[in-house]
Amino acid sequence: MTRWPKSYPLALLIALLALVPVGVLIGLASDTAELFDAHNLKVLTNTLLLMVFTVFGSVLIGVPLALITAYVQMPWRKLWLVILAAPLAMPSYIGAFTLYAAFGPGGEIANLMGVPTPSVNGLAGATLVMTLYSYPFVMLTTRASLLSLDTSLVNAARTLGMSMSACLWRVVLPRAVTGIAAGSSLVALYTLSDFGTPAIMRLDTFTRVIFVEYNAFGLSQAAMLSLQLLVIVGLVLFLESRVKSNHEKPGRHLSLWPGFWQKLSMLLVVMPITLLAIVLPLLVFGVWLLREGTGGFEFSYAWNSTYASMLAALFAVILAVPVAHAAIAGRAGRWMERVTYLGFGVPGIVMGTALVYIGLQLPFLYQTLALLVIAYILRFLPLAVGSVRSTAEGLDPSLVKAARLLGASPREAFQRITLPLSLRGMVAGAALVFLEAMRELPATLMLGPTGFETLATYLWRVYEAGYFGRAAIPGLLLVLMSALGLALMLSGERRAEFDVTEDRHR
Amino acid sequence: MQRRTFIQALAAAGTLGSLPLAASRSLADSSTNSSFPLSVDQLPPLEGDLTLYLGRGEGGLYENVLEAIRKRNPKLNLQIRRGSTAALANSIVAEAKAGVRRADVFWAVDSGAIGLVSDSGLAQPLPKDLTSQLKTGFQYPEWAPVTGRIRTLPYNTDRLTEAQIPDSVMALADSDLSIGWAPAYASFQSFVTAMRLLEGEKATADWLRGISKNATQYAGELGVVMAVERGEVDLGFANHYYTLRLKSGKPDAKVDLAFTKNDAGCLVNASGILALSEGDLPVNFIRYLMTREVQSYLATEAYEIPLVDGVTLPEGLPALETVSPPKVDLTQLADLRPTLKLMRSVGVL
Repeated sequence: MTRWPKSYPLALLIALLALVPVGVLIGLASDTAELFDAHNLKVLTNTLLLMVFTVFGSVLIGVPLALITAYVQMPWRKLWLVILAAPLAMPSYIGAFTLYAAFGPGGEIANLMGVPTPSVNGLAGATLVMTLYSYPFVMLTTRASLLSLDTSLVNAARTLGMSMSACLWRVVLPRAVTGIAAGSSLVALYTLSDFGTPAIMRLDTFTRVIFVEYNAFGLSQAAMLSLQLLVIVGLVLFLESRVKSNHEKPGRHLSLWPGFWQKLSMLLVVMPITLLAIVLPLLVFGVWLLREGTGGFEFSYAWNSTYASMLAALFAVILAVPVAHAAIAGRAGRWMERVTYLGFGVPGIVMGTALVYIGLQLPFLYQTLALLVIAYILRFLPLAVGSVRSTAEGLDPSLVKAARLLGASPREAFQRITLPLSLRGMVAGAALVFLEAMRELPATLMLGPTGFETLATYLWRVYEAGYFGRAAIPGLLLVLMSALGLALMLSGERRAEFDVTEDRHR
Repeated sequence: MQRRTFIQALAAAGTLGSLPLAASRSLADSSTNSSFPLSVDQLPPLEGDLTLYLGRGEGGLYENVLEAIRKRNPKLNLQIRRGSTAALANSIVAEAKAGVRRADVFWAVDSGAIGLVSDSGLAQPLPKDLTSQLKTGFQYPEWAPVTGRIRTLPYNTDRLTEAQIPDSVMALADSDLSIGWAPAYASFQSFVTAMRLLEGEKATADWLRGISKNATQYAGELGVVMAVERGEVDLGFANHYYTLRLKSGKPDAKVDLAFTKNDAGCLVNASGILALSEGDLPVNFIRYLMTREVQSYLATEAYEIPLVDGVTLPEGLPALETVSPPKVDLTQLADLRPTLKLMRSVGVL
């Protein structure tokens, strides 16, 4: 019998834990008789179209931005990265609503400036909004794999006369394909499970049907539909697993020094994205703030958000390490890894209810911060696993072997070789979990301690009541706290970069 | 009424002079019926631990009421869990199944969620002297409606006059007006449920088909009212308060309210509250929401219709007497599944 890789037992345990909510869903769904009717076919088409277009749009925006943030040397690089990742901190229903309110005849832009703008709605509108709020998934995962590439191949290609752009296209990007695929599948899963955007943009998707059933007290039907949605999720996961990974030695990464005009054109390309995704919603909130005034907000909400999200990010990354390593170690491990992704594709409100049932089996945990953090981890673990895996795949196993040969214990080899080299992926993963937890709503409402108010729950409260002016300050704070958290984690990343290069050149 | 003055008024609530204007007016008007509505002064103080599940995201107004109750009762340790009504109702049922009870009181945005919880046998009966404070037609043994909302037809004043709008909701299906609606919205589904109960399945299905020819879908009824105001559609279906709130923030808004007569189109639905645990504290807490002060406050600030007998409506609110709502048992509106099935078979959901 072959020996199981060391990461397997832990990964198996985590995978089983991730399956528990799915088991609860099956239990909840067993009450219902209706399986699938003809109407759902149209819904299915809408869902798949939205998913494909959003993934396409996110790759179109995310990959170039990943190249810029990874390789291009310019002032305030970290600040740019934080700004570009910030859309992840904005709940997409807030973004969708402000874009809807800003554009179109009678919208805020037409009111204030008299410029007629086209309406943002339907499939096109939903794709725009989903792309704006999910491209950072692709950007961050792609960037993480770009940074683990060795530049010497590019240098060789350039020496042989290949132009820089051809080089990026044919030498660099094909090697970052796992990162792109990991980001794309996250975007796909996020699109599948998001409810707010399709609802506001009036697009009939799977989540909308689920939500309608849920609110009509058809919990079992909602659970059944969620299980059907999981089939699509499974398909996405299967497709992503077909993307072949490559193994290469990590090395010094590429640096590009743009000229003035190049910098300007990059700025012109980046500007509209940030303007639409972050500046416009906050401006619209600002207009409403001036019109209606504010009130009832406490700063402890910001601390609650940050604290819970930080805990979730930390533990998610710790749990992601064995899962990611198991995924690399073999076929069975790959399956375990895939299983942890299921939770990300289930609409939050259904997942939240499943977790209420689980939480109730552990009454000492029910309605505590600990259960909320567990819920975040179960929902967002794949974000961490994806990033950790895509960098860990780039690890050269011979480095560890060399260390062992030179007398390092397995523990020392892990601490001094494996860990530093995969730190960048861990940081990126933690950042993703952090941002996603900051904006998570249904599970926070259902599972947090009673009276535990976060920025997202407060935003929801005022949004529901139609007091949009009061959303300005928490909205701004949500972006600000997320940016701070991101900056903190990225400073960790810089240390990781420093370690690698130092070790290599000493 | 400002938030602070309201809180002070409820906290002090001694003399008539300290009462805010709307409340003192309502006190004067209610002299014909001296027993109701009660003032907070006549209620026993609340003491002990109480957990409230609040099934709506009302940003501020409900909070102000709850904060005022807290201020007035320093010995009350009130914990609040907020969430969507359906999610909280599902949580309460799940908790009961697991033998855990965390909520003492459940305040829900629509009577459907109340129906779900009381059908599971979790609601405690309310004393007669509490339920009898409510208007006739709104007295239920296991729950208390807090405030009401009327189904209305908001219309664009540039494109329509009130005379052009039929006063029967069923007749709208034959008109060629462009209509905004939100079929996925809970209040709309309750309205269709009422129509189903009043007019029957077939008439309702025909009506849905007729309307959907000229209809544009929106996610929620605030969206419907905004679309009417922008002139995207001629008129819409929405609860009354969205229009009133929009007009209060934007006085020159091009939207006004029309009502149908004695049909589902002017159904009065209610938010409701029920007690989940035994004892006096939950019941007395509910009594606070039935007071003159709270009912008037919600009417003035949130444009909701007070349902306690004898509370006068502030200006701008349609008086319950002037609309002629149909007679429907509100808890029957919880029977949503057949409605959804109907709406789906017609292809509007």
